[in-house]
Amino acid sequence: MTETRPDCRHARLHIGADPQHLPDDVQAHVAGCTTCARFLDETRALDGRLRGALELPLEKFRTPARRRDGWPFTWNFQLKMAASLLLGLLVGGGLWLANTPPALAGELVEHVRHEASSWSGHAVPAGSVARVLQDAGVQFDISMPVVYASACPFHGRVVPHLVVQTAQGPLTVMLLPHEKVRRRAEFEQQGLHGVLLPAGEGAVAVLARGAEVPEPQVREIVSGARW
Amino acid sequence: MKPAAHGTTVETPFSRLLAMLRPDLVRFALWLARDRSVAEDVVQETLIRAWKSRAELKDAGAARPWLFTIVRREHARLYERKRLPTVDVDEVEALGDPALASEGDASLDDLRRAIMQLPDEYREPLVMQVLGGFSTAEIAAELGLTQPAVLTRLFRARNRLRVIYGLEAVEDVE
Repeated sequence: MTETRPDCRHARLHIGADPQHLPDDVQAHVAGCTTCARFLDETRALDGRLRGALELPLEKFRTPARRRDGWPFTWNFQLKMAASLLLGLLVGGGLWLANTPPALAGELVEHVRHEASSWSGHAVPAGSVARVLQDAGVQFDISMPVVYASACPFHGRVVPHLVVQTAQGPLTVMLLPHEKVRRRAEFEQQGLHGVLLPAGEGAVAVLARGAEVPEPQVREIVSGARW
Repeated sequence: MKPAAHGTTVETPFSRLLAMLRPDLVRFALWLARDRSVAEDVVQETLIRAWKSRAELKDAGAARPWLFTIVRREHARLYERKRLPTVDVDEVEALGDPALASEGDASLDDLRRAIMQLPDEYREPLVMQVLGGFSTAEIAAELGLTQPAVLTRLFRARNRLRVIYGLEAVEDVE
């Protein structure tokens, strides 16, 4: 494939760039040029393989720990660090490990921080709250006023992101009917205090800014969620 | 507060669309970022933005390129916002990922690794075209390039992959 007449060069640019959509002049050229016709056949065959290569089987991917902001280390380095940390934990006792919040906590904090304006909500029409709940297929009955309601994508699902007003200040409530949480976990990240706990077949997260999440409100929120 | 019927799950058409396209969005983000956790962050941000802007999508048939465009922009934004280090080819974590290994098809494995190692300027338009279904004109508009420049990049990307596929590389176009 060494012959490169100007029209062949033009044809090969188009064939190599977009073999499935050739302009008319290139198609006409290919019809009369065996070299470019062979190049087209090869490139289309390559494209079939290319498509197969790009469609990665996602289920085979490992699920690494969530990357922190600016976390610059490679996977191998993280493995070494994890091994060192585990050794330290074994020496120091397992209590800290038992209380480590799940990765889900970090994702919730990121999500809430992304919607920072939600904290300053004042009131939401009951109809809007009902639509958000209906979109997610959940029920939520509590006495606290809802001052923000949004149906948010989270882990591939649409979940209610609510803010309720309490005497201690606003609380963010994330209703997560599709998340599995084995036990209660408390966390504090980026100025947010939170508690994540199982609720029926799913989970509920309650977050507060700069203060512990009040326990009576947490109990009412969890008991008010149904799916 | 009018609840949904107990025990039922009500899904909107838009949320179903997002759920259906999510795997391809993850794949696209992964080919851009070459790092699974970054890709998941990008897709998470993409879904949030898409949900908030869902009124802009008038035609469900255009959802795929619309979402791919958001993925690409969120990927760029993530690097700007978090100042993540750019990934050196030798440090690409995904190269060692078992998902690159196919069932007994070594040439497909090689092809995946070769795509992973393409420079960004070649890999991005190639993935947009083959996985995202973008036309060369759409890629040019999205990347801020001329259409001839996009053709050249796509040609060179495939030309590098030809060798991996066992074909002879052809003469460069310029």
